[in-house]
Amino acid sequence: MIAEYTWLIPFIPMMCFLIIGIIGKKTPEKGGYIAIAGALSAFIISAAVSYEYLTGDAFDAGEAITSEIEWFQIGTYTMHLGYYVDGLTCAMMLFSSFISTLIFIYSLGYMHDQGERKNRYYAEVSLFLTGMLGLIVSSNFLELFIFWEVMGLCSYLLIGFWSFRHHDGDAASANAASAAKKAFLVTRMGDVCLMGGLFILLNQFGSLDYTTMFATAELVAEADPDMLTLGLLLMFGGVIGKSAQFPLHDWLPDAMAGPTTVSSLIHAATMVKAGVYLVARAFPIYVMDGNVMLFVGIIGGVTAFIAATMALNNMNIKKVLAYSTISQLGYMILALGAGGYLWSLGYYELGALGFFAGCFHMINHAFFKALLFMGSGSVIHGTGTEDMRLMGGLFKKMKITATTMLFGCLAIAGIPIFSGFWSKDLVIDAAMAAFEHGTADGATWFIILWVLAVITAFMTAFYMFRMWFMTFMGEPRENAQHCHGESPKTMTMPLVILAIFALISGLFMFVGLADMLPLHEGMELVTLDGMEEGIELFKNPYTYLTLILAIVGIVIAYLMYVKKTINPGKFNKFGESWLYKALTKRWWFPDLYNQISWKLGYGVAKGVNYIDRQIVDGTVNGLSSAVVGGGDAISKVQTGHVQDYSSIVLLGVAVLSVVVLLIVAQLGGL
Amino acid sequence: MSMILSSLILIPLVGAIVALFMGGSRDKLAKYVAIAFSAVTLIVSSLLLFKIFGEFDELGESYEWISNNTFIMNYALEVDGLSILMVFLTSLLVVLVNVFSIDEHRENNNYFYALILAMEVGLMGVYLAADYFLFYIMWEVTLIPMYFMISWYGGPRRHYSAIKFFIYTHVASLVMLIGIFAIGYESVASGPVNYSFEAVKAGIAGTALETQSLIFALLFFGFMVKMPSVPFHTWLPDAHTEAPTEGSVLLAGVMLKMGSYGIIRFCIEALPDAAEHWQWLIIAIALVSIIYGAYGCIAQTDLKKMVAFSSISHMGMVMLGIGCLSDAGITFAVFQMFAHGLITAMLFMVCGMTGHKVGTREIPLLGGLAGRMPVYATFMMIAFMASLGLPGLVGFWGEFPVIMAFYEFILEEDVIWMLVFCMLSLMLTAGYYLWAMQRTLFGPETKKIDLSKAHDVGHFEFAALLVLAILVAFFGVWPDGALQFIDPYVDGLFGVI
Amino acid sequence: MIPMEYFLILAAILFCIGAYGVLTKSNAIVVLMCIELMLNAANINFITFAAYNIDTIELLTMEATAVGQAFVIMSISVAAAEVAVGIAILLNAYKIRKTTELDDAELTTMRW
Repeated sequence: MIAEYTWLIPFIPMMCFLIIGIIGKKTPEKGGYIAIAGALSAFIISAAVSYEYLTGDAFDAGEAITSEIEWFQIGTYTMHLGYYVDGLTCAMMLFSSFISTLIFIYSLGYMHDQGERKNRYYAEVSLFLTGMLGLIVSSNFLELFIFWEVMGLCSYLLIGFWSFRHHDGDAASANAASAAKKAFLVTRMGDVCLMGGLFILLNQFGSLDYTTMFATAELVAEADPDMLTLGLLLMFGGVIGKSAQFPLHDWLPDAMAGPTTVSSLIHAATMVKAGVYLVARAFPIYVMDGNVMLFVGIIGGVTAFIAATMALNNMNIKKVLAYSTISQLGYMILALGAGGYLWSLGYYELGALGFFAGCFHMINHAFFKALLFMGSGSVIHGTGTEDMRLMGGLFKKMKITATTMLFGCLAIAGIPIFSGFWSKDLVIDAAMAAFEHGTADGATWFIILWVLAVITAFMTAFYMFRMWFMTFMGEPRENAQHCHGESPKTMTMPLVILAIFALISGLFMFVGLADMLPLHEGMELVTLDGMEEGIELFKNPYTYLTLILAIVGIVIAYLMYVKKTINPGKFNKFGESWLYKALTKRWWFPDLYNQISWKLGYGVAKGVNYIDRQIVDGTVNGLSSAVVGGGDAISKVQTGHVQDYSSIVLLGVAVLSVVVLLIVAQLGGL
Repeated sequence: MSMILSSLILIPLVGAIVALFMGGSRDKLAKYVAIAFSAVTLIVSSLLLFKIFGEFDELGESYEWISNNTFIMNYALEVDGLSILMVFLTSLLVVLVNVFSIDEHRENNNYFYALILAMEVGLMGVYLAADYFLFYIMWEVTLIPMYFMISWYGGPRRHYSAIKFFIYTHVASLVMLIGIFAIGYESVASGPVNYSFEAVKAGIAGTALETQSLIFALLFFGFMVKMPSVPFHTWLPDAHTEAPTEGSVLLAGVMLKMGSYGIIRFCIEALPDAAEHWQWLIIAIALVSIIYGAYGCIAQTDLKKMVAFSSISHMGMVMLGIGCLSDAGITFAVFQMFAHGLITAMLFMVCGMTGHKVGTREIPLLGGLAGRMPVYATFMMIAFMASLGLPGLVGFWGEFPVIMAFYEFILEEDVIWMLVFCMLSLMLTAGYYLWAMQRTLFGPETKKIDLSKAHDVGHFEFAALLVLAILVAFFGVWPDGALQFIDPYVDGLFGVI
Repeated sequence: MIPMEYFLILAAILFCIGAYGVLTKSNAIVVLMCIELMLNAANINFITFAAYNIDTIELLTMEATAVGQAFVIMSISVAAAEVAVGIAILLNAYKIRKTTELDDAELTTMRW
């Protein structure tokens, strides 16, 4: 039974982290090969475990392989430590470890000139991978939360990788330090919500184990619906933070301050996928409340739209990709929300479709986004800049990079055969289905979301090709002229592999991916027929609508940036229009964050400090100076003249004598 | 009767006296004497921890010390699940502090190490005492070395801080003393008062709630100042800023725990009904401390002062756990005491070191230290992350379950919105630590101060920090390592209630 | 027999003279002498009460008579010792401060 060794999957990268951290400096490439070996063996074990599970009896019965040991107790609740393998786990761990392996190989080339720092880099990415794989194989939400936070830490470390001694000077290191902090704090905000959600769920269900929570309908019936809603919403707060959903999305573009490989790791294989995974994992609980799912869908749709708008006019190649990630994550969340909404209304088939669309898009996105980021990394490696205005005409110098990136762009734009087409159109279908079958308010919402999603598809095609054309076509500008050709083999080889996957990963749907992600309805299993859904897509008129819009987007981009027949300046009044400014200011979200954190954080802190120093401590110091001052004043009575003292003594004696006499007289003694 | 527990007090006492006579030319020797004696203490306490000497309840010692027809004071020592962790922590931190300071050159080494060992005597006494008066005496014993530590070896404002520390905590302990008198006299109907824990606990159980509440308030005040809780906390930041690093480590690492230890030992164990009566007050004080301490941190510019405020916040978390008066709450409050002891020791070592290494602890003057001092930066990060409650490190298990216990409490009381306070505090904690880290370790290298003489962590400092870092990770992964001691104690406690 | 009051009045007058001297005289030697007067006034009282042994107050029995006289002896010897110490201090003060005047600034600097 290989599945018994599932715990090795996060454990091996963990060991790599320790080994690289301790002795990595002495190994070749400062631990790079160890990290690759770790990721690769994690992938191999994942593959073996997946094979065993998918061919085994448990899978046919729709059950998970799980095993856990008792960890410790909180009051009456027992916490466990274990692994949980089902179809979702298999899919997730396979693509995470696979893409991570490729990214690590790519890092050999990309981080080659980093010297001593490589040691730190490889240690941290190994820990990052530990976090993601641990999160995937966890058997309960507490364990998941732990790895979730470990990933937060790693993203902090890696985004801030150049936060000191940056090769571009002091401003860049300050920027990296600030971006790292922002990433951690904003996601932490979500994490705190998630923690709150866990408290509520733990209290309601009496356990955080998946097996207990998913299996027992009686527990759900006993649970207080209001508290359950609150718990699920709080839990979704964690997703909003981690998966960079509106309104906590703004950390992700800033996170581009890290090395490009890290961005690719964060966006494709780990981190932001964790949020989507959490919703998918907790899907059986989420569907208990249709309104929460509606909320999830709304957040997803709005995020997809808003992020896409901000990518339209950005000049930084990595930031365009960052916004596209946020936008695509919005799609995934929208699909899960729509699916869950339908499920909660009793449309199990359609619900399963939404669920599958979300997960499927996550997997496809992982491949093409890793590809796009690594391609942009290759470009940055060659040109030394991230500003697209300084690139152009690179197609001739970097053929492999340009071609592979074109594959990525086609995939994300949703051109048929390429992976993005299948999953994105399923997502949009799910939103449509939710409109068609939803009840009054929900239906209204979902038609709005559907429109947003379709517009987003158009925008996606436009900005992705805008990026590709600006980078690879036209006249070579400044930095592009100094470009010294294609990147090394270690960098192009992963690109080629990923380009192949960007082409074919959509076809996984037809070869059993849909069966891998079954859902339970009571005792029944609900699975999709991938083939049927695929054919269905071509029968659906809306598919052609989005396809036409995407092609129009590409054509407009071509006319604007290659043919130059349309001047983009006209649309934005040469950067003067209100909308253009709003987009460059990112809809003022960074300002909003700053205002809130300064006012609510530093402002209040100043006040508290003032109260502390002046009032609380002032009282203490006041009391002490009152005592000291009073003593000072009274000490003046000590004149130093013996005769004054003796006069007082004599007077005292006289007064006392009189008092005693009076008392005695009063008591009638004499 | 075995002498194991007494030896924990006697060994450092002998060590302190020996170290005291290592003046003048034998100055250097004082360090090694201190390390030797504290190491022996650590060995004894570790053996005790692993139950080599037998079960805890077999080890009690009790002698009548002073007895007449009004009262009986005992020299009574006991150890149980609550105190063993504190005893272990004390002996561990004393050794680490001694090792940590090996490279430090200061005048009159002998006095310094004698003071540290004397403090260990007092701390051991406090945690082992099984008699109210012995407890009180030991409580005062800890005060004096700390006072001298600050006023002799402290920073520029040391006299002010030392006096403030002394008067503040002494006033509090006098109130506590009145409480001890009161609980003693109320516990007997007639005849001499026996101040041993068991006699008092048995005697006080039947008295009126009003009496108990009053006594509770007196004792609680004494402990609360020591913890410290808002608004009686202002001695702590001052004391920490001025105290030498070693003093800060012991002060925050184990001395603050005397307060929470006392609350559990006396207020909760002996006066459970009164505790329920005052429950909301405890919760309120805890919440105010947590939030207020966290906000206080943000505004600080001195690293050590910031960490001092974070102690207020985290000890507030201990009090929150206690205030829940539930199995989980108290168990993890004790765990948080232990966790905070480890983490805060690390924090103060790192932050105190900044002053020696770089020349200043003012955050605005620092920046970009990670490039020059990578090991230092790593330890600082581990300490900060542990303190902000990163899962996988020990601090998380002091926070998550405590808030869980608190959640169950507020759910019962139907004031679920109070969870917002806890969430706010978690956010703020992350905020001030990361902000401090951003300004200290990262960003451009500072040009405001001369960094050319800045040097990374020394060998002995590294050793001390490494031990703490390993423990922080170890108990983070395996909290049961500490919980197995706490659980039986808390079960016993609730058997009583 | 001479009434007891005469002795008591004598002692009172003596005490008042002594007290007056202590409080007003500025020379330390004179103050010391006045203290002697006060002590002796007390001694006279002791002796008087011892000798007159008033029956109405039970305390003053025959033993009390002896105690009174013993106290006088004790008092005289203590006074002698005290004068010796006092004069010695004064001599030293004079040596260092060159004065025995009590309100002289030289001797009053020993206060706050």
